[in-house]
Amino acid sequence: MQSFIKLGKLSGLTLILLFTIMMVLAGCNAAQNNTDKEKEEQTSTGAKESKGRVIKHEMGETVIKNTPKKIVTLELSFVDSLNTLGMTPLGIADDNKKDMIAKLVGSDIDYTSVGTREQPSLEVISSLQPDLIIADVERHSAIYKDLQQIAPTIVLKSRESTYQENLDSFKTIAETLGQAETAEKRLSEHEKIINEINSKLNLDTNLTVLPAVVRDTSFQAHTTSSYDGELLEKLGLKVAIQDEQPYVEMSLEQLVEINPDVLLLANNEGKLLTDEWKDNPLWKDLKAVKNDQIYSVDRDLWTRFRGIISAEAIAKDTLTKLNEK
Amino acid sequence: MNTKQKLLLNRNFHPNLVLLVLLIIILILSIVSLGLGAIYITPSEIIRNFIGEETQSQRFILNNYRLPRIIIAIIVGAGLATAGAILQGILRNPLASPDVIGVTKGAGLAAVIIIVLFPSSPIIFLPLSAFIGAAIIATILMLFVYKKGAQPNTLALVGIALGAICQAGIEYFMIKFPDNVNSTLLWLTGSLWARGWEHVYILLPCLILIPLLIGLTSKLDILSLGDDIATSLGERSKFLRYILLSVAVILIGVCVATVGSIGFIGLIAPHIARRIVGSKFKVLLPASALVGAALLLVADSLGRGLFPPLEIPAGIITAVIGAPYFLYLLRSERKKA
Repeated sequence: MQSFIKLGKLSGLTLILLFTIMMVLAGCNAAQNNTDKEKEEQTSTGAKESKGRVIKHEMGETVIKNTPKKIVTLELSFVDSLNTLGMTPLGIADDNKKDMIAKLVGSDIDYTSVGTREQPSLEVISSLQPDLIIADVERHSAIYKDLQQIAPTIVLKSRESTYQENLDSFKTIAETLGQAETAEKRLSEHEKIINEINSKLNLDTNLTVLPAVVRDTSFQAHTTSSYDGELLEKLGLKVAIQDEQPYVEMSLEQLVEINPDVLLLANNEGKLLTDEWKDNPLWKDLKAVKNDQIYSVDRDLWTRFRGIISAEAIAKDTLTKLNEK
Repeated sequence: MNTKQKLLLNRNFHPNLVLLVLLIIILILSIVSLGLGAIYITPSEIIRNFIGEETQSQRFILNNYRLPRIIIAIIVGAGLATAGAILQGILRNPLASPDVIGVTKGAGLAAVIIIVLFPSSPIIFLPLSAFIGAAIIATILMLFVYKKGAQPNTLALVGIALGAICQAGIEYFMIKFPDNVNSTLLWLTGSLWARGWEHVYILLPCLILIPLLIGLTSKLDILSLGDDIATSLGERSKFLRYILLSVAVILIGVCVATVGSIGFIGLIAPHIARRIVGSKFKVLLPASALVGAALLLVADSLGRGLFPPLEIPAGIITAVIGAPYFLYLLRSERKKA
């Protein structure tokens, strides 16, 4: 019996302690919630007064007042889009790779890294006090609410987006920044550039092209519905795999069966699966190997960046590589 | 008996004093943690912010990001550690942990399915499905064990088997959908990134369950004497084991649903606690809870503060701390045997 009383005392004590902490913390929260609500009301009434533009995006509608200047981008294609419109972001989710951003923009630009695209640092984003955040629907839907609390946020398709979806995202960004007309002009110019390269490419139209990402343990073919596949088709090339899935993992046997005429390989950093394949008689039997039609292309440019400028760079890259012979 | 010796060795401190010290440590850690992150905030600035002399942007960061994360770290750490201590007690196996009985793996499989197959589903689906996954595995576990009378060994073995099946499923999805591996791995490691007040509300059941478990501790002490003695002391050991197991499983389910399957806390926190206060459950349980809370708090603060603005998921830090300690445990267990 005595032990029971003791026990009661002890667990009672811990209980009380735990609850006091929680109550104190909960108190802080309640106070914060109120100020948040006030803030929200202020911004919403403010928006009505100045009649901002209503931008439709993947997660709903966002009211944009004035012209945003301090922009944070959480995916690479958005950096390209801003660059196309002659702007640079204040903060970029750059995975801590400044070189990659320099390559994307074409020069060193001044910006603050907000961490990885997968887990951007909300703290840094909020400290930058941006007036617009552009986020990706796949990666950042879960933090849309948090981002909205910091600044007006638009959520667009970027990661895994198709060529057409990417152009649509560009249009939305331009609209958000009040540059819809500039964007229209730039888009028709873009179309001209792509068509021009299409006509310059003197590859036999019956030949098949296969873009693929090579990693240490995988060979991932890109199909007609992948970003680069779709772009290659726009250039008048025939992508070897027609499929609704953008990416297909392949073995050497499967590759031999498809036997594309041209291989465009975006090699990952480090060891590659194709190095192992090179000694295999099957590999040597590939048409692309026999005719020396294997080209390595930049992994970042071809499979990571996406965007108007990047698409044009890919097109030019294809032209110089395939017209070499 | 070994445990008895240890018990005697370790009873130097008054348990309440130990608990109080642990509580103070958590409070200090919380204050330090508030300052750490991509934007460093000095302790004096923190205090100024809380007494009202606020800097707007700092206050925003403190209230929206750091405070909820600290609360979540404390609750989840305490929850996993309590559940781990109970499992070790019920299974009478010092190496038991939430992972061993397959529940975390069940939650993991459900979460992976949602991430991979339904990437555009509403955000709330992820914790919900994780919890359902945990619940399904727990139910299967109970059904299997029911026939055998809830024997500790059966529980552990069935749990490990179920866990292995779920693990196979997880790996299948990761190989089949390599493009989602990043987000899947992130969830499986467990991270407190971008967790906010809404997640604190999900964790509210833990605030009832943890004290409830601590209240049931006298029973655990009886159970640990063995089924025969427990029965002769008038306890329905099978029934008791069920109740305790269910509560522990719900606790694990809720915690894992909110932050992903953070490992090692449930395994090592009870052991550290046992070294400090001995193995009587009525002290061990609250001590484990506090140690677990402190551990996860440290892990999350380090993850946030080491390489800003990059964040290291808390699950990786707990693994880095936990794995060597686990090896050390295995060694000392072998020595004892």
